[in-house]
Amino acid sequence: MTLALQVTAVVALLYFAVLNAIYLVFTGIAWRGVTHHLRARAYAGENEAFASPLTPPISILLPAYNEATGIVESIRSLLTLRYPEIEIVVVNDGSTDGTMGSLVEAFDLVRIRKALREAVPTKPVRAAYVSRRHPELLVLDKENGGKADALNTGLSAAQYPYVCAIDADAILEEDALMRVAKPMLDDPSLVAATGGIVRIANGCRVDHGRVVEVGLPRSPLATLQVVEYFRAFLVGRMGWSSLRSLLIISGAFGLFRRSLVEAVGGWRTETVGEDIELVVRLHRYLRDRGEEYRIDFVPDPVCWTEVPEDLRTLGRQRRRWQRGLGETVWRHRGVFLRPRYGVIGFFGFPYFVIFELFGPLIQIVGPPVTIYAYATGRLSLPFLIGFLVVSLLLGVLLSVAALALEEFSFRRHPSTRDVVRLLVFSVAENIGYRQLNDVWRLLAFVDLARRRRTWGAQQRRGIGARNSASSG
Amino acid sequence: MQQLFAWSSVALGGGSVTFVGLLVFRRIRLYRLEVERQEAERRLEPLALALVNGEEIEAVDARDAGVLAGLLSRYARQVTGDSSSALAGYFERSGGVEREVAALGDRRAWRRAAAAYLLGDMGSEWAVGALRDALCDGSRDVRTAAARSLGRLRASAAAEELVGVFVTAEVAHGVAGQALLGLGSAALPALRGLTGSDDPRLREAAVELLGLLGEAADSPLLVARLRDSAAEVRASAARALGRLAAEDAAAAVRAALDDRIPFVRAAAARALGEIGGRDAAPALLALARSDHYDAAQAAARALVRVDPTLLAAAGHEGFGPHVSEAVDRAAIRS
Amino acid sequence: MPEDRPLVLVADDDDDIRSLVIFRLERSGYRTVVARDGDEALAVALERRPDLAVLDVMMPKLDGYEVTRRLRREDATRAMPVILLTARVQDADVARGFESGADDYIRKPFSPQELCARVQAILGRR
Repeated sequence: MTLALQVTAVVALLYFAVLNAIYLVFTGIAWRGVTHHLRARAYAGENEAFASPLTPPISILLPAYNEATGIVESIRSLLTLRYPEIEIVVVNDGSTDGTMGSLVEAFDLVRIRKALREAVPTKPVRAAYVSRRHPELLVLDKENGGKADALNTGLSAAQYPYVCAIDADAILEEDALMRVAKPMLDDPSLVAATGGIVRIANGCRVDHGRVVEVGLPRSPLATLQVVEYFRAFLVGRMGWSSLRSLLIISGAFGLFRRSLVEAVGGWRTETVGEDIELVVRLHRYLRDRGEEYRIDFVPDPVCWTEVPEDLRTLGRQRRRWQRGLGETVWRHRGVFLRPRYGVIGFFGFPYFVIFELFGPLIQIVGPPVTIYAYATGRLSLPFLIGFLVVSLLLGVLLSVAALALEEFSFRRHPSTRDVVRLLVFSVAENIGYRQLNDVWRLLAFVDLARRRRTWGAQQRRGIGARNSASSG
Repeated sequence: MQQLFAWSSVALGGGSVTFVGLLVFRRIRLYRLEVERQEAERRLEPLALALVNGEEIEAVDARDAGVLAGLLSRYARQVTGDSSSALAGYFERSGGVEREVAALGDRRAWRRAAAAYLLGDMGSEWAVGALRDALCDGSRDVRTAAARSLGRLRASAAAEELVGVFVTAEVAHGVAGQALLGLGSAALPALRGLTGSDDPRLREAAVELLGLLGEAADSPLLVARLRDSAAEVRASAARALGRLAAEDAAAAVRAALDDRIPFVRAAAARALGEIGGRDAAPALLALARSDHYDAAQAAARALVRVDPTLLAAAGHEGFGPHVSEAVDRAAIRS
Repeated sequence: MPEDRPLVLVADDDDDIRSLVIFRLERSGYRTVVARDGDEALAVALERRPDLAVLDVMMPKLDGYEVTRRLRREDATRAMPVILLTARVQDADVARGFESGADDYIRKPFSPQELCARVQAILGRR
């Protein structure tokens, strides 16, 4: 018993030390990356790119399932993007709530016959529509098949060399597409995919498809997520991207070279983590072929999205994410520690396996084991308290550092009260919220064992609903 | 152990507090600076606008000069013509150009890049020499900014170098291309020469830009490229001829509809849509029924322009999904 | 008797553009009225009935094309000359501008002098 306890203790301590060391290093890397990016923005030449006939056109893919409340607003934001030429391919994935109806009405849709590539098999398309007022808007009505299937359908109809997959309730900033596309414009033969940053729209005022005022959500749960997203996106993704090991491009906002997505067979429908799965598959495909490439994270272009404000939906979302991670890791286990996959094989992928996939296990087992050790007299109280205090402070430091990074660079939160609130929540995040996340992620293993396939119900309040009255 | 924990706690706690402190101070400082700057800009705006308008203005003190320069750089980005010249004159007289040209030698890459970019906004030809040198800078950002500015300045002298960097990855691709377009006809001789290069990438790049900058007289040169050994060059040539709407090349582009490579056929189809001419209609219709998606789509769309009646008739007879789609889309537009 | 200097509507969400255009127009003897987005532009046009409108295309709420189209639909403003002043410079954009009913299309970056000359030309014809 003692040996088992000691081993567990050592493993836990080691895990703790390594993980936090990685976090701290990443914070440093991310600072450098963001600073460089911001400076480069001054001479990036976006105006010129916007005016250039050489800038390649982009097909935006918008899979939608029961998005009647927010989809019109979302599409409006896309129609006014500052990008020379785009088409918007909305895929209605068998919605049952009148999504199709609101689209037909809002955009004056007319039915057409549409030729499809069908390189990747999908559920059948029932009808296709084009907007009379906005000829760049194409809507495909199909049988329900899930997000990946809807994306593949969009891929099938897309005409341009680049596809941008976004969520139906996402609101893009005017320059978002230009910024996320910039790496590809600069190095078309090198950059295979880019991802943008996702920020939380709960609490922001949205008007005519634009976020006109940034605010913090009233819901404490959503505010906790704001702090969390700073760490996950600004520090996490930026760090990985700098190390050339970006394995996640958010399904909410990602840009890909269409030919590559087709070459690897589109998005996988058998997994709920189709966004991570695609990126990992792209890495493998390109590395297997020995091609030089880059997959970048751009910290600047912003996609605003709604996050769950109740525990139930949030829990479901986190379990789904963890399930997706597990499915992807299992499917691509051949990457683990293979020299051919370079930094991804030796660092990126193992990190995800150890710290993201199995991490919750260790993090959950930690406290009970510690308490048991203390209760049986093997651990002294001062030691216990000391350890707790240090781990708490570390967590706080990392959250505060991420917040500071945001404040030092993008400064999206003009109100000082908001910043103070964020600081408070940065501390609070470490007391309870993270632990709750671990519980959810552990439950995901149960789900995986039971082979859950569905996405679960989503409660959509809709970004337009609670905000500006005028939506016409 | 205790000691370790105690010290760690102090360090971590101290670290967090430091961040918070920095955050607070920086916020306050930036807020104050912003307020000052806005107030200064408000005061100086009439002066700046007068200058853009070509009027003389009295000198300003050193602090205001900085704000004024910032304001004028912003305006410079929006204007061309006489206003640009007026601004360039001001920047030259006030030493702004000199300062930025000197900054091209700064040891920090971001400062050099910022200087290279600003010089493009300032609009003064004095900077051209230094910018051409900056095309060889060690940092890609600097090279890119220099290329962009040379395009903004319409520096014809730099045409060959810019064409050179357009093909290699030394400068961001999109920026180099757009800079060349900025040079306009000054780049044409270099581009024409490059169509005969050994490197297919160079040929392709040259052909693409000729399509955007070229004149009707360049048509024979491009037609020759329709028979290039590299497929990318052939496709690029077809695109270029479409952009030039070169009617005399119609027959040659029609021939390209039979190319072995699908994307060349697609490019040729698209070009015929822009060139026009009923003669192409039967070949386009045949292509629209073919199995390759991009080529068939391009052909169907081209038919809308080239021969809408034939297209409508084909739509009734079930000539395939691409024809049907093109017919439906055309119906919406009318 | 109030002077008959022509009134020009300037609509753009960019402060700098507004300043530049207004300054130039007023120096040339025109009166100006301002709008910061498409909705405001339409409202002001219908209310103040300017003699000419200089519109940006990429404005919030309603874009320049749509504003032009609506102006053309109203009797009161059907004949109002519209110049689109915009960063949308591709040929397709220009075509779209004219299809919406604009009388002229100026690309950004622009020459304030040229803008003024075109305004004068259009207003001189009336």
